Amino acid sequence: MRSMPARADTTSLVQTALLLAVASVIGYVEAVMWPPLPVPGLKLGLANIAVIIALVSLGPARAAAVSFGRVLVVALASGTVGGPVFAMSLAGAAASLAVMVALRRFGPLFSVVGWAVAGSAVHCLAQLGVSAVFVGSTAPLALAPLSLGLSLPSGLVIGCTARLLISRIPRPVLSAAGR
Amino acid sequence: MTRGDHAIVALVVALALVVVPVTIGASVRSPAEAVLTGPAGSNSVPLDVPATYAVEGRGGVVTVRVADGRAWIAHAECPDGLCVRFGAAAPGRPVVCAPNGVAVSVQAGERGALDARTR
Repeated sequence: MRSMPARADTTSLVQTALLLAVASVIGYVEAVMWPPLPVPGLKLGLANIAVIIALVSLGPARAAAVSFGRVLVVALASGTVGGPVFAMSLAGAAASLAVMVALRRFGPLFSVVGWAVAGSAVHCLAQLGVSAVFVGSTAPLALAPLSLGLSLPSGLVIGCTARLLISRIPRPVLSAAGR
Repeated sequence: MTRGDHAIVALVVALALVVVPVTIGASVRSPAEAVLTGPAGSNSVPLDVPATYAVEGRGGVVTVRVADGRAWIAHAECPDGLCVRFGAAAPGRPVVCAPNGVAVSVQAGERGALDARTR
């Protein structure tokens, strides 16, 4: 007979896998089909919706699995593993997740919209930083205003969409998975 | 949205606005030369002499065109070709091909200066 914690673990594992799959598909479609914006590495970042949902419903560890797993799967699918684009994606994902996890600790002071806006801005800055390292010049950092300006609507769209989707998830699912 | 969310939005806007004047201040000046930065180093080229430059990047050759006082990446061997679509570089707004580690930036000249250079 299965114990309750084991069942909860299985539930969260399945949900993590589902969110990783969704994030990977969205990330790949965006990487291949979405017209790139005029800043290195900058995209709308719709895959981050899955990361935010994972952070709310499954916690930081599972959200990290979804975020980094998505970066790896998209890189494998698009043939950019180990290259500069992969490094930029990884840095952006790490910075974004770190900020969102930090904001999550403040409880109700920040909603998922705030997490998404902050995560989006930090994601862009981290990518520009890595881009500057690869170029060996501070020239990419001059794109920071444009990058930050574009990250704001992007973060708002992602945050509002994530909030809408989270409100549709049945509460027993959220509580069973670990919040 | 909570108060905290509003604070984050305000912070991002403020951060962008703090950095913008630097680039706007540079852009009102007339550009004098382009700096082509690649893995092998940087090289300054005049903007008033039409030319095509080949910069050796990490993943292949990046072709930079200079004409009409502007510099842009005409061709690059990179996955998305984002740098090619970016258009011409402007003061404070470089064109970057991150996969190749190549950047084309335009250095501003003196405000109202004569259109001439000395070496």
